[in-house]
Amino acid sequence: MTVTADTQPAPDQVSPEVKAIHRRMLRRRRFSRALSYLVGILISLWVLIPILFITSMALTTPAEVRSFPKGVLPLIPLSFDTLEFFLRSRGIIPGIINSVVVAVITLVLSTLIAAPAGYAISRFVFRGRDAFRLSILAVRAFPIVILSIPLAVVFINVGIYDSIFALALMHTALALPTTVLVLSSVFSSIPYELEEAAMVFGCSPVQAFRHVVLPLVLPGIAAAAIFTFVLSWNEVFAATILTIQNRTLPAQVLVTLNQSSEPYQFAGGFFMMIPALIFIFFIRRYLFNMWGQITK
Amino acid sequence: MPSAIGAKSRKKTNWAPYFLIVPTLVYLALFFAWPMAQGLLLAVREEGALLTLRPEPQSSSAIAGRLPRGTRVNILDQQANLIPPDELSEANLVTEVWFQIRAEDAQGQPVEGWTPGQRIRVREVDDNGAPLAGTVRPILSSTADPLTPVYAEPDGNSAILTALESPTPVQILDQATLEVWYRISGEQDGQIVEGWAQSRYIQVLSELTQGRIDRGNTSMLTTRHIQRMVSDRFFWPAVRTTLLLIVLIIPVQFVLAIIMALVVQANPKGSGFFLYVFSIALGVSDLAVGIVWYSIFTQFGYLNSLLQGLGLIDTPIIYLSARSQQWILIAVWLAEIWRATAIVMVIVVAGLQAISREVLEAAEVFGATLWQRIRYVILPLLRPSLQVALILRTILAFQVFAVVIVLGGGDIVTVLANETYRQYYDLRNFNVAAAYASFILLLSMVSAIFYLRAVRTQEEVTG
Repeated sequence: MTVTADTQPAPDQVSPEVKAIHRRMLRRRRFSRALSYLVGILISLWVLIPILFITSMALTTPAEVRSFPKGVLPLIPLSFDTLEFFLRSRGIIPGIINSVVVAVITLVLSTLIAAPAGYAISRFVFRGRDAFRLSILAVRAFPIVILSIPLAVVFINVGIYDSIFALALMHTALALPTTVLVLSSVFSSIPYELEEAAMVFGCSPVQAFRHVVLPLVLPGIAAAAIFTFVLSWNEVFAATILTIQNRTLPAQVLVTLNQSSEPYQFAGGFFMMIPALIFIFFIRRYLFNMWGQITK
Repeated sequence: MPSAIGAKSRKKTNWAPYFLIVPTLVYLALFFAWPMAQGLLLAVREEGALLTLRPEPQSSSAIAGRLPRGTRVNILDQQANLIPPDELSEANLVTEVWFQIRAEDAQGQPVEGWTPGQRIRVREVDDNGAPLAGTVRPILSSTADPLTPVYAEPDGNSAILTALESPTPVQILDQATLEVWYRISGEQDGQIVEGWAQSRYIQVLSELTQGRIDRGNTSMLTTRHIQRMVSDRFFWPAVRTTLLLIVLIIPVQFVLAIIMALVVQANPKGSGFFLYVFSIALGVSDLAVGIVWYSIFTQFGYLNSLLQGLGLIDTPIIYLSARSQQWILIAVWLAEIWRATAIVMVIVVAGLQAISREVLEAAEVFGATLWQRIRYVILPLLRPSLQVALILRTILAFQVFAVVIVLGGGDIVTVLANETYRQYYDLRNFNVAAAYASFILLLSMVSAIFYLRAVRTQEEVTG
């Protein structure tokens, strides 16, 4: 609306034709605005209703989960029995701990390794910069998950198979290309002039980075780290292949899927979704940094 | 000269960025490039397919020839050789123990040397059971040499110092473990190959002159794993389902993602909410999504509840069974559209934001309808974003795995990633799993190149 107001010349100068065009545009705009709300709400229902289903299955009694036909109203009766049953099942609590440990190691490793590279891409023009960027993009486009087969063989030979640290190494390889690209776009969003000004006033390059750039990029880095956490938390294929005893939560749920009851499965599905629901909310504004960067 | 130095210093390379990218390069080389190469090798190489034979019973000697695993061989001769201590844990070793002895020979001269342990009867041991002294055993066979040779080294090839009669008393100073080597001959491609090999590789059959090569020590390039993959009964169904799902999912996903992106773009106020809801699926694992849709399609699930509530059916329909594969496909299709449209949407929104407002306004001012604006302004400008999204989405689609396991049980409806997992996890067949992995890699690269090509030629055609 504001845009229309800006482009509208003073009313006494415009001819009736231009007024008519403006009226038509306004009408059309209102119509498309209403249409977009309608479509948006429909798509939101498409996304939210399945989440509502799994939530109401997880937060009710196991008897209600097995009942048929299921009630139209969700969360009746509200109970944590199903979730508790799931959390008390063998291997679930250790699996959750393993998942968190792997995800934390992955986000620390990938942020530490990727941040300097992201800074280099965004701040320096150097020979091989485009080649480096392109190869990072190419790595991102590879089906990295299939690396778990040869890595499993290597890990068995080296003796670090079935370790959550080995899995974190794999997940870091998975997350690294995206993290480099995201962090380079985060650094690019901070004008170099700020750093320059700090250095003019006597900061060393390291001090300028520490006191000027770092506070500004921290939210972006945090968003990238959260995304890495979610990526590692969700990863199933490599986790199942690279571990036997020290399973992460998704791996544990997957390998026990055939022998488990429906309340267990539904509670597991819901539990795995929780981080996504929370974290995506916090980083939604940064998603374009993350994926938009890839198209450039 | 000074000017040359000046020119050089002006062109001085700034090394800082290189230092900064080194960790990433090293990490990707270690955990990406190297395993990728290993994986490709694993798919075409067979460890221990060949046994290398030596002209002498020494590992360091030249190569006499190679025989494949499983070949029947004749055992012509055998001899024991010192084995390095770190190889004592190898499987299937045939070993001999040799003693270092001190004794007096027939002439009463003291002699010190090595002799096979089986020729000495041990008569005295220390507290730990280690032999201290014994006597030379008699040799009962009438044809064999009645004397026991004493060698300079624990090696049947070394010089014979003397020979002892039974029952000369001997002091046992030390002992050594030796591995038996066999001189074998076998036939390959009509040619006789003969040479020495260690006992660990050879299974001796009862006659003691016949044997079989149990395992090899040399790897061989082979297409065996690829052949096994292609002839697997799940291979073609997996290829078919994977490609079918890609063809069915991606167009719907792109239409939906573009609509989502337009909704987000059109609502500056509500876009926070819509953006959040539309991107939730970005953070949900394929396993969780599979379970979500399982709760809808299972026999006593939401779909049947709804249908029965509306009075459309009397008894619940069974969707996810071997007899209703089309329903499994539909469930996987819906689940994948639900889950993976978000990433396309985000890429498209990022692309839309890069399109300048003026262009869109101009189209509006000139009276273009919504459809005309999408068709003639937005889509052409979005092409680079769509191309990237298409490549990324297709490659991710080749890796679909947990959704199919949850909804299809893993063997009723199967995809390539699931077969990779099955070969590795259930069948413990690393090589065939690596062959599947390489096949997925090949398909991904072919599709990426195809998209890049297709878009380029289109550009050339249109101008």
